[in-house]
Amino acid sequence: MSILLLSVGFGLITASVIAIAGVGLSLQFGVTNFVNFAYGDFMTLGMYLTLVLGTAFGLSVYAALPLVVVLTGLAGVLMNRLALDSFVRRGANPIILLITTIGVSLIIQSGLLAIWGAQFQKFSLGPSQPLHLGPFIFTPRQLTVLGLAVVAMLAIHVLLRYTRLGKAMRAMSDRRTLARVVGINTTWLTDWTWFISTAMAGLAGVVLAINTASFTPSTGFGFLLVIFAAVIVGGIGKPYGAMLGALIIGVITSVAASYMDSAYKDAIAFGFLILVLLVRPQGIFASRGRG
Amino acid sequence: MAALSYYVSVLAIFACIYSIITLGLNVQWGFAGILNFGVYAFVAIGAYTYALLTLGKPIPGASQTYILGLHLPFLVGLLAAGAVGGAVAWALGAVALRRLRSDYLAITTIAFSQILWLIAGNETWLANGWDGVSGIPQPFNGLLKLSFNDYNFFFLALSLVLLALVVWLAQVMLRTPFGRILRGVREDEVVVESFGRNVSSLKLRAFVIGAVLASVGGAMLAAYVGAFNPSAFLAGETFFVWAALLIGGSGNNWGAILGAVLVPVVFTEGTRFLPNIPSNPQLIEAFRYVIIGLLLILTLKFRSQGILPERPDRFERGAKRGARPSSTPIPSDDAGEPPHA
Amino acid sequence: MLEVRDVHKRFGGNQAVNGCSFTVEPQTTVGLIGPNGAGKTTTVNLISGRIPVDRGEILLNGNPIHNLPMWRVARRGLTRTFQISRELRALTVMENMLIAAQLQRHEGLLQTVFELPRIRAAEKESVRKAFELLELFQLTRLANQYAGNLSGGQKRLLELARSLMTEPEMLVLDEPLAGVNPTTARNIAEYIETMRARGITLLIIEHNLNMVERLCERVVVMAEGSVLAEGNMKEIRENPKVVDAYLGTVV
Repeated sequence: MSILLLSVGFGLITASVIAIAGVGLSLQFGVTNFVNFAYGDFMTLGMYLTLVLGTAFGLSVYAALPLVVVLTGLAGVLMNRLALDSFVRRGANPIILLITTIGVSLIIQSGLLAIWGAQFQKFSLGPSQPLHLGPFIFTPRQLTVLGLAVVAMLAIHVLLRYTRLGKAMRAMSDRRTLARVVGINTTWLTDWTWFISTAMAGLAGVVLAINTASFTPSTGFGFLLVIFAAVIVGGIGKPYGAMLGALIIGVITSVAASYMDSAYKDAIAFGFLILVLLVRPQGIFASRGRG
Repeated sequence: MAALSYYVSVLAIFACIYSIITLGLNVQWGFAGILNFGVYAFVAIGAYTYALLTLGKPIPGASQTYILGLHLPFLVGLLAAGAVGGAVAWALGAVALRRLRSDYLAITTIAFSQILWLIAGNETWLANGWDGVSGIPQPFNGLLKLSFNDYNFFFLALSLVLLALVVWLAQVMLRTPFGRILRGVREDEVVVESFGRNVSSLKLRAFVIGAVLASVGGAMLAAYVGAFNPSAFLAGETFFVWAALLIGGSGNNWGAILGAVLVPVVFTEGTRFLPNIPSNPQLIEAFRYVIIGLLLILTLKFRSQGILPERPDRFERGAKRGARPSSTPIPSDDAGEPPHA
Repeated sequence: MLEVRDVHKRFGGNQAVNGCSFTVEPQTTVGLIGPNGAGKTTTVNLISGRIPVDRGEILLNGNPIHNLPMWRVARRGLTRTFQISRELRALTVMENMLIAAQLQRHEGLLQTVFELPRIRAAEKESVRKAFELLELFQLTRLANQYAGNLSGGQKRLLELARSLMTEPEMLVLDEPLAGVNPTTARNIAEYIETMRARGITLLIIEHNLNMVERLCERVVVMAEGSVLAEGNMKEIRENPKVVDAYLGTVV
């Protein structure tokens, strides 16, 4: 029983990372209606930017965090402006956009590979002593991860509920054609959407690296399918769904990994993903299908 | 001189194999509009099937463990590879194609590909896990016993024959009602269905045919290289096939071949004249990927139909044939250019 | 030929079709009219098999078709057109016509490889027929143009021409005159009369009541998901319920 609870605890931490990433992806899809296959690579970008700021300016991981988040956000806006926006204005097929993002993904990964090589990198963080909290065992670092996730979720919640931007995002996501007609300023909305989306990716990346200690240029991309799993389970385009989806995927994979060969931990998520796509593609929590 | 001709023949063989795989994707995407991001899963299925059937019995205690090992001849292995790939595609497609919109299908095929990769790597009893299988016998060389160089040219001839067959098949498909209805499915499924076609069945057929071609390509790959392991089918490999098809021209069989030749050639040769920095050995490698990625984005931006665009049939009263339709302006707003995707 | 019996269809909170019943006799032309939101297009979607019925039956020549998929319904001789022209943009006009040709038994890999001569012959026949139809609709010179480059009116004509390639027993036209200029509308009306002369059974959704009067022997009026009234145009005009339904619009 204690193993079960332990793995649930680990699952919560994984879920935290997935939640941050998933919310960003879901928000962006809700507004722009196509999948950003380079999303995982913005996570990786965040990891390497932290490294750079650490070695170049001696900033600790946590000190660099806000800056990294902003920088990855800007990188996303840049990508949209350079590679995607002209397609979107032309009314291009979402599939073309999807493939373009794959091209961007390749460029980011290869760029990182070119500069740093394929070896594992790590953050210089001190050792972290495990704490016993009831039936769970967490290190302070893991609690920080959890804390950051909670803060991020709250921030998104405030954004969506109380700000003009958030309302515009919800309008765009729920009633796309109507929102356009009503005249929401799409440039402003798109820029901010990309900023927030990839900023979340950057945050998720750093948090992931804090949690798993080492990373390579392809770490983020490898995480992408797991994020998809969470986002789709929760209902794509619905940030709150992504949070719940993250919880489900995080805990299920963690618990499953404690009972079977952990090499297949990801395969559980992938299998779950395929199952949800086939049985209920609009997600477990969606009321309205988005077909 | 011999070295150069050897090098060219190696490139040519890979170009042939790549072309077959890309032609398979062309049937799925170029003709029928099916977004398959798991192409290389089928290449792997074909390669492993071929390997496991043509290898001899696994020697207990030796360095590799695998199942089967039936020491069957080349043709049997090749046909079986295609058959197994087709069967898996049939199973996957029957379930996934019917229900999923394009981007979800893309994700599903990637997930499928990843699961396969994990199984291939972790289940060492199956095909020797991450180390993969090697020592795959060379087709016909037990009989011919050719020298190293000569065998290369022999395999090239074999590849060319196979490629010719595949091209003929793909072309004849394109220029007949089958190819045309698949292109219709790509454009608007509802319309095609309203004309009495079972669209799900058509899509499944296209998916299976493409998968069979990819598997056959995989078998040839395994037969030539003599080995195959999971690192050969990472996600990036599928991307190369896509880049080849999109850059060369999707919907056009010659475009598929052009792309299959161009992308690997540009890839390997494009950075030939860059200096190799000893402290950073993978710089060149990474640069190659960047070039391909840029090439793809630029193609999509400025010539989205690829270098060799799709050519519909042209019809005259009483006769047929000819490709590109007339582009003389008609009294309307647009020119006679193919409408953009 | 076509019998719609007490058909119901609900979408979420909206009962789009609520007990709709009418018949279309063979080789007649029936108009289906009614205010927007009356459920006309939904009924056509139910008839053509695009969506399944919740309750009720639809019979074609006495055989139930109401839960068949669209392609099976089409193979039984019922072809429909769409309210917004659905031309296959990246294919030529001629290729659009050939898609409609009923060449299903040739559309497979094995057939393509082993029966090539027979396929070529069948295709040649379809091409001949297609050119005949294009001639009729005065679209011949556009035969090798991409369908996506046609003007709105030409796309409408293509939609009609294409539907005739299927050699339908029954044709359901969903607002064939929507959004075309008066000249094209008159032409389309003439083409529809040609179809009538060929003995095709027609069900036409239309808002242009003058055209409905000209083309249709009988008119079925729908409102709020069910049939309000049936009869010839004169009877319909004089029916107070119909006038009410149109909210005072001059009928």
